[in-house]
Amino acid sequence: MVMAEQLIDERVIEACQQGDRDAFRLLFETYKDKVFSIAVYSSGDRALADDITQQIFLKLFTAIRQFRGDSEFTTWLYRLVVNACLDERRRRRRLLPWGEMVAMKKAGERKPQEKHYARLEISEAVQAAIGELKPKFRLPILLKYIEGLSYDEIANVMGCSKGTVASRLNRGHSQLAKRLSHLNNPEVWGD
Amino acid sequence: MIRMFVRHVTKDISAYCHGELSSDESKQFAEHLIACAKCRTKFEEVKLGIKLAEQLPRLSAPDHLWNDLEPLLEKRTTVRPSVFWTWQSRVAAAAVLLLASLGVFWIYKNRSSHDVRRPSLLVKRLDGAPKIGSEQISNNGRLAIGEWLETDGGSRAQIDVASIGNVDVEENSRVRLLQTRDDEHRLELVRGKMSARIWAPPRLFFVDTPSAVAADYGCAYTLEVKDDGGSLLHVTSGWVQMETKDRESMVPAGASCETRPGVGPGTAYFDDASPDFRAALTKVDFEHDPAVRSAALTSVLDHARPRDTITLWYLFKGSQGKDRERLYDKLATFVPPPPGATREGLLRSDETMTSQWLALLEPTWTNYGGGKMVPKKVADAYFKVRNGLSRRMKDMMPK
Repeated sequence: MVMAEQLIDERVIEACQQGDRDAFRLLFETYKDKVFSIAVYSSGDRALADDITQQIFLKLFTAIRQFRGDSEFTTWLYRLVVNACLDERRRRRRLLPWGEMVAMKKAGERKPQEKHYARLEISEAVQAAIGELKPKFRLPILLKYIEGLSYDEIANVMGCSKGTVASRLNRGHSQLAKRLSHLNNPEVWGD
Repeated sequence: MIRMFVRHVTKDISAYCHGELSSDESKQFAEHLIACAKCRTKFEEVKLGIKLAEQLPRLSAPDHLWNDLEPLLEKRTTVRPSVFWTWQSRVAAAAVLLLASLGVFWIYKNRSSHDVRRPSLLVKRLDGAPKIGSEQISNNGRLAIGEWLETDGGSRAQIDVASIGNVDVEENSRVRLLQTRDDEHRLELVRGKMSARIWAPPRLFFVDTPSAVAADYGCAYTLEVKDDGGSLLHVTSGWVQMETKDRESMVPAGASCETRPGVGPGTAYFDDASPDFRAALTKVDFEHDPAVRSAALTSVLDHARPRDTITLWYLFKGSQGKDRERLYDKLATFVPPPPGATREGLLRSDETMTSQWLALLEPTWTNYGGGKMVPKKVADAYFKVRNGLSRRMKDMMPK
């Protein structure tokens, strides 16, 4: 992915700003998985994540003209993504209670025979638990683990201090551990 | 020093685990953690949270997304001539897209074996021409997971273990990096000698040898692997645990521990124990003939000093029958059991009595080689770790 991201240079962004579709396709192909992942984990619903991802790129297509290069493009993009996810959540909260995420599975109770399935189950349980975190704890975790951003970069995206990022990640990790304490068992991890 | 113990570090746990603290901050964090049970408990919790969060996969966007998006873009596009994208540029862009896709595919297919972005550690040349794989390193190099670092008779190298310490690899040694991530750094030493200085919480840094694993508890030590696969650990600061699946041996500063292939670690002994004591202990630990071992135990008991109760204690814990009684009697002459703890109770491993007696014995083990005392707070913290937390942390980080 690093290789693909390196292709997004000033000239590609400039072309996108001028409405060039091929340049924008390149941008889309480079970032679609990352944006989609955040949308899924933020909304807890794949179909909705499709819509959110589409809306984000649609917005990016026009908003990219406002990008002036004051910050890294990725920082600017992730800010757009985070805001879109928060907006969507606010909008949906007005309509129905959030929480269509897949039912949380108790991986520790099923003790799958094969390591692969155990890991898969852990992953599903984590995805569900992530969805139950407040956005202010969830988003730094997504930016850290899905996007691989540093604390400074997360702070730039979230518009807060590095200390706040550290504190929110800490609380997010603690909440994850408490919610999934039944996974604190070597047998569950299948190692 | 006092401030270090007063200021809790719970808010820095994630930053520490993610390598976001400076070297000094990391060191202070680790030192505090060793001494503070409250912070260690929280550390354990946050570390589980991190381990769980690391299981989050990046998802793939559905293929139809672009097809759905394109008509919507069409509506928003005001047709304008492209300044940048001539037809030649379009061909180039298509080629770039194809290359990018191939590149991503190649990275995906090869990431387990040849991915240049594999996690790695910095290696500095100290002397001569150490090699990583078949390549000589000039001044600095990177040791990726799975790669071997090798020194000959005239070369030495230093490995920076992320932000938690460093390891000097001495002459004629062969070391491989097995893992480096937030919750585990693991090397394998199959030949030669290394000196490690680690300022990390317990059980973050491990060295596998052919006969046992050295698990760090915040310390400095040397570890040497002999030609027969046996090893010798010597601890200069803190504590190290030598372990296999079936046996483990805690080794404090000023003490050493020998390991043998197929057997695992022997019992820890202080370096200033008498040669007769050490020779007899080797037989107790590694001889197969019970009669020889029993005779050797007599010699161990005869040559034991009050300071050698650490050795006697661990022998006592693993013994049965008459040998257990002999060890009890010798230990009791050096450190009598506390009121309420009886000979019978201790011989049958009564949990309460055993821990009460251990509490009296432990302080006698913290005076190491050069006569320097381990700070009591650190020693106390260690024993808390040893008696409870370490087991839970070990459980939390399955190998």
